[in-house]
Amino acid sequence: MLQMNTLTITTTINRRNYTLCINPNQTLLDILREELGLSGTKRGCEIGECGACTVLMNGRAVNACLVLAPQIEGQEILTVEGLAVGEQLHSLQEAFLEHEAVHCGFCTPGMLLSAKELLDENPNPPETDIRFAISGNLCRCTGYVQIVEAIQAASANKPERKP
Amino acid sequence: MKPFNYMRATNLHEAIGLLAHHTPNVCLLAGGTDLLIEWRRPSACTPENVIDISALTEMKGIESGNGRIVLKPLTTHAQILKSQAIIESAPLLSVAATVIGSPQIRNRGTVGGNIMNAAACADTVPPLIALNAEVVLQSESERRTLPLHELFLKPYETVARPDEILCEIRFEKLPVKARSSFIKLGRRNALSISRLSVAAVVARDEAGVITNARIVPGATFPRWRRVVEAEKLLVGEKASAELFRAAGDTVSELMIAETGHRWSTEYKEPVIAVLVQRALEQCCR
Ligand SMILES: Cc1cc2nc3c(=O)[nH]c(=O)nc-3n(C[C@H](O)[C@H](O)[C@H](O)COP(=O)(O)OP(=O)(O)OC[C@H]3O[C@@H](n4cnc5c(N)ncnc54)[C@H](O)[C@@H]3O)c2cc1C
Ligand code: FES
Ligand code: FES
Repeated sequence: MLQMNTLTITTTINRRNYTLCINPNQTLLDILREELGLSGTKRGCEIGECGACTVLMNGRAVNACLVLAPQIEGQEILTVEGLAVGEQLHSLQEAFLEHEAVHCGFCTPGMLLSAKELLDENPNPPETDIRFAISGNLCRCTGYVQIVEAIQAASANKPERKP
Repeated sequence: MKPFNYMRATNLHEAIGLLAHHTPNVCLLAGGTDLLIEWRRPSACTPENVIDISALTEMKGIESGNGRIVLKPLTTHAQILKSQAIIESAPLLSVAATVIGSPQIRNRGTVGGNIMNAAACADTVPPLIALNAEVVLQSESERRTLPLHELFLKPYETVARPDEILCEIRFEKLPVKARSSFIKLGRRNALSISRLSVAAVVARDEAGVITNARIVPGATFPRWRRVVEAEKLLVGEKASAELFRAAGDTVSELMIAETGHRWSTEYKEPVIAVLVQRALEQCCR
């Protein structure tokens, strides 16, 4: 039986530095949910298809189920728990609430982070770019319309709200 | 996931040394989008030793100059699709990168991993073969360069030895006059693994006569290749619907000759012919 080496890694999660002792065959998703109790990041398909586990790694949306834990050494991770600053919700979170883009909520953390990558890069995305940016996030409840509206509302060029 | 011994390489030299030391019970890890899924399968055979190369900065990036593009293997699909140099000199590769997986997969998945995984449906491979790309494999004892299409033996199998690392992919920029296209047929836009695809390049002279044609279908032949038999029909002719249909039919006939009749043949036979035709039409718009 092969003896597995445990590893000590340093990483930044939600702007906080961590030194973690991990097993190399864990994923980033395991670390977040099981080791750190950050259960906002969801465990869905675990084959990269649903996007429920989406987090930002150095500002880019990635599937936490497909990142091997030791690969976060020296990287900056942002999860849904790190979106709000103190009591102040992120503008995307506010918009998701206002536009009723959260139904069961399982897809929401991943959606928010995919949307954040987009808005950080282009604060004024056209609707096609919004749909492209969330194409790796499945939602079984909303039919996506409210989610797209919420992201539009959170972007710099808020469309006029229909009366 | 079964346990394994994990090593993080900090530079290419170190990665090559570790590979040599642990061959053959060793596996390189890049973006992990193929490997982590493979390793989690209940029946998976996980390697004893994993060398993580994802931190090797010298293996990332796109260099453009002297009429050539050098693509480092750890370049992600997201970086390829945003690269101005690729958009200008190899637009079909840019298109292929755009239709891979999802934004999350494109942010992690690398072109080197796509090539070395050698799935029949790897989307960057048909464009790169149409670009006549070469790959450089490096080990402790040698550095060898081979045409990309010679790398593959069959799906999921390459001629690379376990102690070799893919360290460069390079190709000549397409001539300014050449047009190129990549068409992928998937069940839906995001997250559809390609079942059939076609990469094509067509160059014409002032009179509209085709001077160069390259056709590379994906997930069609047992081994990837340019379909020279169909390309030959085109050179010296002017673009026309009949010509492109003939080229499509040739590809389709060769597919059946080389793969035999399978459950999917009834579907693939007409579809690949039409995809070839459309890919050629896109080049001549
Ligand atoms: C949900 C989902 C959707 C996908 N959709 C698509 C799609 O539409 N089209 C498509 O083509 N692919 C798709 N893929 C497959 C995958 O994302 C790509 O093949 C990706 O490019 C693999 O790169 P990687 O860096 O993640 O590879 P890894 O998983 O890290 O490695 C893959 C293989 O390559 C080897 N390897 C990696 N780098 C090197 C190197 N430099 N030298 C030698 N060997 C090396 C590894 O040892 C391993 O055998 C999808 C995957 C998922 C999970
Ligand atoms: S749980 Fe990671 S993509 Fe579904
Ligand atoms: S709100 Fe239920 S999956 Fe999206």
